Order: sequence, then structure tokens, then C-alpha cells
Amino acid sequence: MAPVLPFLDIVAASKRFGVATVLDGVGIGVARGEFVSLLGPSGCGKTTLLRIIAGLLTPDDGTVRLDGEDITRKPPHRRDIGVVFQNYALFPHLTVSENIAFGLQSRRVDRDEIRKAVAGLLDLVHLTEFADRSVRLLSGGQQQRVAVARALAVKPKLLLFDEPFSALDRKLREVMQIELKRLLREVAATAIFVTHDQDEALTMSDRVAVMNRGAIDQFAEPAAVYHRPATSFALGFVGLSTRLAGTVRDAPSNGEVLVETSIGSVRGAGGFVTGTPVIVGIRPERIRIGTGSGNSAKATLTDVVFQGSKTFLHFAASSGDQFLVETSDPPRIGLEPGSVLDLTWSVEDTLLYPTESTR
Amino acid sequence: MIPPEKLKASQIGLLAVPAVAYLVIFYVLPLTWLLAHSFAGRSGFTFDSYARFFADPFNWRVIGNTLRIASLVTLVCLVVGYPVAVALAQAHGIAQVVLLASIILPLSIGVIVKAFAWQIVLRRDGVVSQALMALGIWDEPQRLLFTETGLVLGAANVFLPFMILPIYSVVKLIDARLSEAAATLGATPAYRFLRITLPLTLPGIVTGVTFVFSLAVSMFVIPSLLIGDRFQTLATLTGRAFLMMRDEQLGSTTAVVLLAFAVTVVIASTWLVRRLGSTE
Repeated sequence: MAPVLPFLDIVAASKRFGVATVLDGVGIGVARGEFVSLLGPSGCGKTTLLRIIAGLLTPDDGTVRLDGEDITRKPPHRRDIGVVFQNYALFPHLTVSENIAFGLQSRRVDRDEIRKAVAGLLDLVHLTEFADRSVRLLSGGQQQRVAVARALAVKPKLLLFDEPFSALDRKLREVMQIELKRLLREVAATAIFVTHDQDEALTMSDRVAVMNRGAIDQFAEPAAVYHRPATSFALGFVGLSTRLAGTVRDAPSNGEVLVETSIGSVRGAGGFVTGTPVIVGIRPERIRIGTGSGNSAKATLTDVVFQGSKTFLHFAASSGDQFLVETSDPPRIGLEPGSVLDLTWSVEDTLLYPTESTR
Repeated sequence: MIPPEKLKASQIGLLAVPAVAYLVIFYVLPLTWLLAHSFAGRSGFTFDSYARFFADPFNWRVIGNTLRIASLVTLVCLVVGYPVAVALAQAHGIAQVVLLASIILPLSIGVIVKAFAWQIVLRRDGVVSQALMALGIWDEPQRLLFTETGLVLGAANVFLPFMILPIYSVVKLIDARLSEAAATLGATPAYRFLRITLPLTLPGIVTGVTFVFSLAVSMFVIPSLLIGDRFQTLATLTGRAFLMMRDEQLGSTTAVVLLAFAVTVVIASTWLVRRLGSTE
């Protein structure tokens, strides 16, 4: 049996602007109905990749396939891919319903059918009473819903979102995230979502592609990206962590290595050659206070940051290294800044990355 | 400097005093004098000169000439200028500088110099005639000079920047993503232009049309040099009345009629922009 191709299949896509390589041989496959986030800092190439998928840019190399068809050089208006732009790009001279109807009108759909479809979409995004209002008189959240409804109207094969929540305040953003997720489930859409907000990516996506300097560092489920970052860049970009610099001192054959750091020897898993400079990473909720098996360090408490359901404890080792510990149940006693405590974490939770490479 | 929020409205009004004074002395007063003269009869106020003016079929032909030439010039400027304005707004760096310079610099050449240059271009052995012969469109050399076509071409050339610049200033402000958004919704380039770009540039088009029409309706030097005395417009008739016929009443009357047409067009187009703006 032939292997099943992903619904959206991008192979070795590259894009250069002048001397700058913005995308460097990116490949990614998205399944039908999947919600995928492209996560990365500004300049990582995520928006360029989105624009290549939409057809607003043509890659220098590589191919884009949608539903089995090569669309690499197809103009955007024949691609059947909807886009919700960062600032929505609503047509300012049209009303809410005219904006939503635009795509259907450009496809010369029957008038009555358009009216019915627009009414349904207005209902879906709760904007029925705003139908005849100018889009310029809407709030940010309402404009965002119009943009989504406008893109959904033509029933695209694929929906793209370019940081659609970046202009909204934090509270509204969280509401809209949940609402959009519900909406996309209702219409069973395949969606790709560009964001630099890791919480947004982890909350909404089936899978997250962490992008860094024109390449995809890791493409996995949110939990895997968080707990098993593939690169030190992914470790640093997604979530918080304690980081120590070290050198592999001994690499016995059991898959464990011994790393010499400024706080002493640390054991971790990984196939490294002796002498390799490495970064040791530990997630804050994986470090326990107290003694136990695994790795350990003695450090002085410097700060206690209370955040409601969880508390962050900042420590400094005598070497100067900083430790970050997250706990939902902080010990009642001995938590004054200045107290020296034992910190423990397991060998499996000790993440190791080569120092130089970010890939 | 006094911070602006500390200025009272009346103090801000002082800033307009020089301009208002200038306009009153050099524009409003002479215009009032002109208006008064057109209504002055032997025994006081009269509409006689207007009655006589509109009774003469020759004058109706002059009005027709004026409006036809001004409309054609405006149309040519719009058709030629609109794509240039769009290109200018989308150009970057050195290309934009060169384009802008080549649009604005010709404004520094006097209109008489340009009109004489067009005389050379449009005559029987001129560039246009020779080019059309070479292309096989014309069998024998013809002159465009002293024809309406020649006048429209020459005038459109002079007034083109006044069409390009207002449209350019509006096109430049249109978010490029609007067209992209329309494309992702399935709109072809032509549909995008008709439904997005054109409506959004309408205010610029109306401004440019107003500029060019008011300039073309009242031009005097260009028709004098490119078409001559046999073809009269309201402006050349006004000039003739004052300079050659020494008939101040006829001159004032034609000038007021001309002004009325120009003002009507300006007010109508402003109203049109407001209307279009309010339906958005």
C-alpha cells in the first residue's frame, strides 16, 4: 500500500530575500482536520511560510501540495485557502455582511444562497445584530470574528491565521481562543495558526511546529514540545527552565552521561561523546525541594513569587547559577530568602543539548 | 512656543489672518468688482448682459467648446494618470524617486514653453505625424496643431500631475493586505480592482478630477497657442473681451459664467465625495 500523503504537504521550501535566507528547506505535513501552530520569535520565518501556503509568496525552492495537488505556483485566488490576517484586513468601505459575502460574490454564487450563507455565518459568530454596520465601527474582538466568518464563508480547504489575537487584550484573547477552537471544531476545518505566543500555541493546537531561524526545530504535540524540547532553542522559547553550562566527562554505555558543571556532576540521558560542551536544562516543576535520588544541588533562596495556584522559587547556587523551581504546594517553613535548601531532580528530567547548535 | 492646547480658538484664528487678508485684497475685491460690472447697466442694476450673452447661439457654442475640451482633458488625464499613480504608490526606493521627479519636475517648466514645444510636436512634419505615418496609420502627413485633438493632448500633458498626485496620495494609504485578503477569498485581479482598489481610491479620483477640470475649464494660454482664435472657449473669450474688444461688461459676464461652471463642478464633486464617504 502506498503511504498516505498528508493533506497539506510542504517539502523543502526555501525563500530568500536578497542575501537573507528566511526559510531554509522547511518540510511539514498537516493531516486533514488538524490544528497546527507555527510558533517562533519574530523573524523566524513563520509568516513567510504562511504566505507561501496562501500563495501570496512563491518559494524559491520546494513544493506545496494540498489535497494531493501541487499548488506551488497557483495564484492565491485559485487555491481555496482562507486567511485571517493579523489586523484582519477587513474591507473598510463595506458593511459586516458585505465583508462576509465578498468571497461568495466573487465566485458568482446565487444571490439567495449568499444571503442564506451570510445569515448562517453571522449567527455562528454572534454578529447578527451588526450585519449592516460598517466594519470600522466594530471593536477588535468583533472585527476578528468578521474576519473569521469572511474566511469561512467560501468553505476553504484550509484556514490560515496570522497572529489573529495579537491586537486583542489578554482577557479578550483567552475568550477568543476558546471561541475560535469551538468554531473550527464545528466546521471541521484544517487550520494553521502563526503565533509567537507559546501559551496560545500550547492551548489551541493539536501539534506545534517550533520555528527558529528559517527552520522547524520540532514538530510535535504540545506536551512533547514542553516536556521533551528537541533543541535548546525549543527549551528556551517554550516554557521556563533552569539552564546550566557543562561538559560531558564520562559517557558509559548505558545511555547515561555524566556532565561536569559549575555546581558539580550531573547525570542525564543522551548519546554524547566525552568532552562535548552541553547545556543542561530542567523544567521548574520537575525540581523538588529536599533530598532524594537523582541529581541534587544546594542553593540559597533569593525570591518567592506567589502566583495564585502556583509559586515560583528563585535560587542561587554558590557558583552563581540560578535555579527556578515551581511548586503548587510550597513548604510552610524555611522559605525566607537566605535559607539554604537541597534541590533534587531525576535523571530523566535532565535535558541535555549540545552547546553550539540550536538545531 | 506656546503649547497648542493653551491657545484659544481665537488665537489660532490669528494664524489665518495673513492668508485671509491676501485673498480679500487680491481675490475677493477684484472678483466683486468683476461681478458688479457684469450687472452694471446705464440705469443701475440689470441682467441685460446675461440675457444678451445667453441669447447668442455663438456663446452657447463657446460654452459647449469649454465644457467639451475640459471634460476630454480630464478624461485623458484620468485614464493616463490612474495607472501611473498606482505604479508610483507601489514603487520603492530609486524607482519611486525617479517617477516622482519625472511627474513633479515638468511643473517647473512654464506653460508657454510647454505649449510651444507641443506646437513643434503636433505640426504637419512633427513627431506625432511622422510616427503615425511610419506605423502605417496615416497615409499622408497631417497636422494636429490647431485641432481639438491637439489641444486636448497638449493640455492633458500640462495638467497630468494634478491628476496623478491626489490619486497617488490615496493609493499609498490603502493597506496592501486588503487586496491579498480579497485574493485569498477567490477574487480575480480584475474583481479585486473593481470591488476594492477602485472604490477606495474614489476620493483621490474626485479630487484629481476637480483639480484638472477647474484648470482645464479656465485655461487661456494653451488654447491660444495650440488651437488659435477660430476656436473660442469661455476663458479665451473673456481674454478677448478685455484685451482686444475692450468690452468690460462682456468680459465680466463671460468670466462670471466661467466661474459659475468651475464652482459648480467643485461643489458637486465635494458633495459626491461626502456621499460616497457616508455610504461606507
